[in-house]
Amino acid sequence: MANATGMALRQVRKSFGSTDVIHGIDLDVQAGEFVVFVGPSGCGKSTLLRMIAGLEEVTDGEISIGGRDVTDLDPSQRGIAMVFQSYALYPHMSVRDNLGFGLKMANTPKAEVETRVAAAAKILKIEPLLERRPGQLSGGQRQRVAIGRAIVRKPDVFLFDEPLSNLDAELRVSMRIEIARLHKELGNTMIYVTHDQTEAMTLADRIVVLRDGKIEQVGTPREVYENPNNIFVAGFIGSPKMNFIEGVVVDGGVAFSGRTIGLGYTPAEPGTAVTIGIRPEHIEVGDGGEATFSVGVDFSEYLGGTQYLYATLPDGQSLIIEHRENSDIGRDTSLTVSCDPGRIEVFSATGSRIGRQR
Amino acid sequence: MSMTIATPLAAADKPRRRARKSRQWQGLLYIAPAIILVTIFFVIPVLFTVWMSFHNWPLLGQPSWIGLDNYIRMFSDTRFAAALSFTAYYTVIATIAIFALAFPLALFVQNERRGVSAYRTIFFLPVVVGLATASLLWVWLANVDSGLFSPILRAFGVTGRSANLLATFNNAFATIIVMVVWKIVGFTMIILLTGLQSIPSDLIEAARIDGASRWQRFRFLTLPLMRRTLALALILSVTGSVLAFDQFYIMTSGGPQNRMISVVYYIFNQSFVSFQLGYGSALSIVLLGILVALSVVQLWLLRVGDEK
Repeated sequence: MANATGMALRQVRKSFGSTDVIHGIDLDVQAGEFVVFVGPSGCGKSTLLRMIAGLEEVTDGEISIGGRDVTDLDPSQRGIAMVFQSYALYPHMSVRDNLGFGLKMANTPKAEVETRVAAAAKILKIEPLLERRPGQLSGGQRQRVAIGRAIVRKPDVFLFDEPLSNLDAELRVSMRIEIARLHKELGNTMIYVTHDQTEAMTLADRIVVLRDGKIEQVGTPREVYENPNNIFVAGFIGSPKMNFIEGVVVDGGVAFSGRTIGLGYTPAEPGTAVTIGIRPEHIEVGDGGEATFSVGVDFSEYLGGTQYLYATLPDGQSLIIEHRENSDIGRDTSLTVSCDPGRIEVFSATGSRIGRQR
Repeated sequence: MSMTIATPLAAADKPRRRARKSRQWQGLLYIAPAIILVTIFFVIPVLFTVWMSFHNWPLLGQPSWIGLDNYIRMFSDTRFAAALSFTAYYTVIATIAIFALAFPLALFVQNERRGVSAYRTIFFLPVVVGLATASLLWVWLANVDSGLFSPILRAFGVTGRSANLLATFNNAFATIIVMVVWKIVGFTMIILLTGLQSIPSDLIEAARIDGASRWQRFRFLTLPLMRRTLALALILSVTGSVLAFDQFYIMTSGGPQNRMISVVYYIFNQSFVSFQLGYGSALSIVLLGILVALSVVQLWLLRVGDEK
């Protein structure tokens, strides 16, 4: 983490005409941190990244990198490097020229260009490809070259715009590990945009969950998973999605589908309508847990290690259960399931989470 | 033993081969209309022209075989040499003028800005006018008394009295170049525009991050990535200029002191004024050769087909 640099966003806004797409984002990124912007498509995560890169004008607010205000600076002056989803390699240049293009534009001496290109090629193991054209490379190799082009610039901050989306599933996993290794090796600050929550959870030091141009929550992967601020974050992080069940508050707990479950606290005024969230992986088949209820299984998906049971509660609300035990549960069976009341989240009608913080 | 192995193999192979053969016939069927049209309207006329070029072929009377005499005659034909050099001069000036204006226009109408489609339409509009029609229009515009340019020039005090723009070589040539640029530039602009738009915006953004200035992006990205488009636009422009005829025939009738006789104009004169059809044919074949050679050189210079 020798020369890592932090970054800060202050009330950053962006509007296209009269439509606001980014609504006053405040964010501090520590030096050497790996921050992932995640959110559904159209949430503004790519726009925000492009604003940091300087490819998109900032309507209002301030962006600083390493304590230096870069809001109105040219992209090349910001000390950033960006890896694009489409790789954006120059098709008419060899890999070597692609890597050295930025240095050549900055009139760097030839010998230094050589050494820096060679160093980057070594880190990414693309030395045998240096004389080839991008058209002759596979998707994974192109991605490496694109990352190499970023490394050669020796940026303070790396920006990744959905870099793995164009790769097939297997390559995506190996490149993901590669990027994590790179971060460990280089120690730079990295900002990474993705809509894939697995990438977000595995790579991030901190996750920034965005929706409609606003930050919904910032936290470590564990925080956003275990302690979601609201119903959106709870539903977005985790797969399969968290179960949301309509219920009401009762004294010392909640009631839904004709059952009362004691939570050990009263979330709100008794009688208030609330949404109850339970993750599929926190429901067990059998009556081992404290809170038990009976469900009917409509159908199930067998995934090898686990089985997803698509079930309905007696009042018709649906419930997904992740069943890890080996016994096969078929369709149209009735089950008793249970869960730990401590794992049950309660959300108000406005979507914010209520109840004790863990 | 080997027979028993070979027989089933051959049997399995046969229907597949037959299928491939019938597919080839199908392909031929699809391109047959094009082949027929090209044969009737290009190949046969060219072959017939070649045949004619070996004859002394008057309009009336019997053609007589004279071998290569028509081609030998060309070398001592000073008027043909003059026509060639004038055409070369015109081609160079017109092509440079068209590109010098078409490129900035293409860059201008590439960006999404307000009214961009209106600009594109306005710049392209003269292209849909026929060249002969445009020439006639400009003859009127350049008319000494009833035209547009002459009174304007006088009103602004550029010329003392009514000036006949088409009276001297330089003015007439300049007027024709302006007319041709006005007429052609929209077309070249559209071709260049397609080339510009085929460059992914990601590449330009990556270059911006790499610190390339506007000029460097143009020099190192836009130009090399537009090589094919440039080759197309250049070949179309050069070919069109080498074949120029209408404007000289209609606007200046060969120009002051017959100095504006292009090669096609000269071929026209030889064939349909002097009725030396054989010599005209020989000239046409030579012109065809020159055009093919020019196109090959341009494709080679721009290294088209050398991708990857």
